[in-house]
Amino acid sequence: MKIKKFFTHRADDPMGALNDLSFLLIIYFLVIAGFNTNRGFLLNLPSREKPRIVQKDDLLRLSLSREGELLFEGEGLSEEALDTLLAQNLAAHPNMTVFLSLDPDVPYQRFVDTVHVIRERRVENFSFSPSGG
Amino acid sequence: MELKSKRRPPAAPLSAMSDIGFLLLIFIMLLSLINYRKEVRIEYPEAKRVEITDADHELEIWIDREGLVTVEGLPLDGEGLEGTIAGAIAEHPDLRVQILADRGTPYRHIDGVIRILQTLQHRAVGFVVKEDL
Repeated sequence: MKIKKFFTHRADDPMGALNDLSFLLIIYFLVIAGFNTNRGFLLNLPSREKPRIVQKDDLLRLSLSREGELLFEGEGLSEEALDTLLAQNLAAHPNMTVFLSLDPDVPYQRFVDTVHVIRERRVENFSFSPSGG
Repeated sequence: MELKSKRRPPAAPLSAMSDIGFLLLIFIMLLSLINYRKEVRIEYPEAKRVEITDADHELEIWIDREGLVTVEGLPLDGEGLEGTIAGAIAEHPDLRVQILADRGTPYRHIDGVIRILQTLQHRAVGFVVKEDL
């Protein structure tokens, strides 16, 4: 059966290759433009001038050591254990405030890891500051 | 006398397509030039869940592993950074500050920037991290 061709592609047509090139460049620049999107998390920085008064029972103190170990009442805590601790405390104290004290030399990644767990638990009152600061 | 019109076979105007293609190319190239930012070589911290922290007006503060603070490719000390942030906020009150720090940066350097933001009473800050896939 003979199929009728509507479009004939001439071998000596230079515009075809140029079209292909321009569309490839469009895709390239579109992808490059998408790389500039910042992703992460937003935090409201704790105010230095207006300290909040928190009931002792509602306060959960955590600390990050120089080595990046998360500590609660002097004992090491894994991320899973922190998640459980937060869930239990939130159930008992809905107005719980988490205070994270960080060693000034702790790597930034450990701060991100800890904040991530706290945010995942939707703790509304969260504050942090370097230890001794 | 009846005039007979000659019917031409249908054909797609390929020259118009290439014109559109090149206009799009120029548009997207200009757009990516506007979005161009001076990046600092850092290893991004990672988190399992991230959100888009982009805003209409933003100021990116880069902090490398050694604690060097850079804004738009210019290294700044504390005073310079304070002046830059204050100027940017005066220009765009809805400014969002984004902190892009290396995962291994000691927290003291991030705290230095946070303290300046607190002094300027700028609360909402984006912490840029990479999604851990």
